[in-house]
Amino acid sequence: MSSHAAAGHIDHHHDATTTTGIPNKKLFMWAFLASDCMFFGALISTHLIYRLHPPAGSPDPRDLFSIELTSGSTFVLLMSSLLMALAVNSIQQGAVRTTRKYLLGTVIFGLIFLLGQVYEFNHFVHHGGLTLSSSLFGSTFYTLTGTHGCHVAIGVLWLVLMYIRSFKPADAESRPSWLWKSLLHIVAWAVAVVFTMWSLMDLTHVLEAGEPLSTFFSHSFIHIALGLVGIGGIFALSRSSGPVEFGEANAIDVESMGLYWHFVDIVWIVIFPVVYLLEYILQA
Amino acid sequence: MSAHAHAASAELPLDSHSSEGKFHLFVQLAMILSIITGGELLIIYLPIAHWIIITGLMFMSAVKFVAVVYIFMHLKWDKAFNTILFCIGLAVAGGTMWALLTIFSAHDSMPVGQAYEQL
Repeated sequence: MSSHAAAGHIDHHHDATTTTGIPNKKLFMWAFLASDCMFFGALISTHLIYRLHPPAGSPDPRDLFSIELTSGSTFVLLMSSLLMALAVNSIQQGAVRTTRKYLLGTVIFGLIFLLGQVYEFNHFVHHGGLTLSSSLFGSTFYTLTGTHGCHVAIGVLWLVLMYIRSFKPADAESRPSWLWKSLLHIVAWAVAVVFTMWSLMDLTHVLEAGEPLSTFFSHSFIHIALGLVGIGGIFALSRSSGPVEFGEANAIDVESMGLYWHFVDIVWIVIFPVVYLLEYILQA
Repeated sequence: MSAHAHAASAELPLDSHSSEGKFHLFVQLAMILSIITGGELLIIYLPIAHWIIITGLMFMSAVKFVAVVYIFMHLKWDKAFNTILFCIGLAVAGGTMWALLTIFSAHDSMPVGQAYEQL
């Protein structure tokens, strides 16, 4: 429960203590996002220029791309943006438990997006022969989408850390034990994410090869077990007891993180038509 | 009052009207953005001129972009300085893209090397 919930209404859009009237964290984030726009602008235009000259025998992007997978990824990222906006809305009301649920949902959707990208890259390299050095198209494609994927991964890490941060006890005497508990929480998240994604990748390989599901369970038993242990650890460590030092006063932290996450979404809003859909039009 | 009920009342929003309004706005916006994404997928299969499809895609993309920035990223409720700051970044990014695409035409960006000489 938030110790700040009853502290009174906070104006989340204006800060009278700064000269601009804008909270410093928010101003920093907008300045950073403005600079990141230039970074992605350069990467997108580089891809648009160099996609035109594939070397002889290189695969047709239209045969390589899966419009179903990319559309699904776009939808997933869009929904994660919704959950992030709802998380910010909740913390601005001091509703910590609701915020945690939305943060968790955003993390899960972000991980689904990353899983889709890992699957896509794996498919392109092993089945399509498109690597970072096979052609300029490959170089610019992987650089652009890989940079975006790194942004998503950093966003997921930030979300997880914020989720763990929301359990920080209000009682100062409990803090040393909370520090160890939060480190364990991070380890549980890392184990859960790595091994669950590994298991899901194994599952897709088995399904693509047309092998029975028993093959998956026998070959990936360790991965599945470790993934489940990690998920169990997250649930066990997420059992909150007592008041926490997280609430409406931390809304600016969640909002700054939300700005970053929405930025990742708007970059994908540009990448989706420019990198993927454009290939279907120009080669039709 | 039970401890559970007490906890629930402590989480009650102070401006629940505004909060609920934003909740519905965000959900409605997400639905609209999903529909526009569906429109983007649909338009590429339409048997119409390429320039219409590309213009349509750019337009839908721009609508989604502005909607997310304006509503989800709270620019609608924030001070105008944030909008100006972000627009400066966007303008420089747009200028960089325009300059690169103008300078490096299809011929100028032709790479060299053994694999490309077979073309």
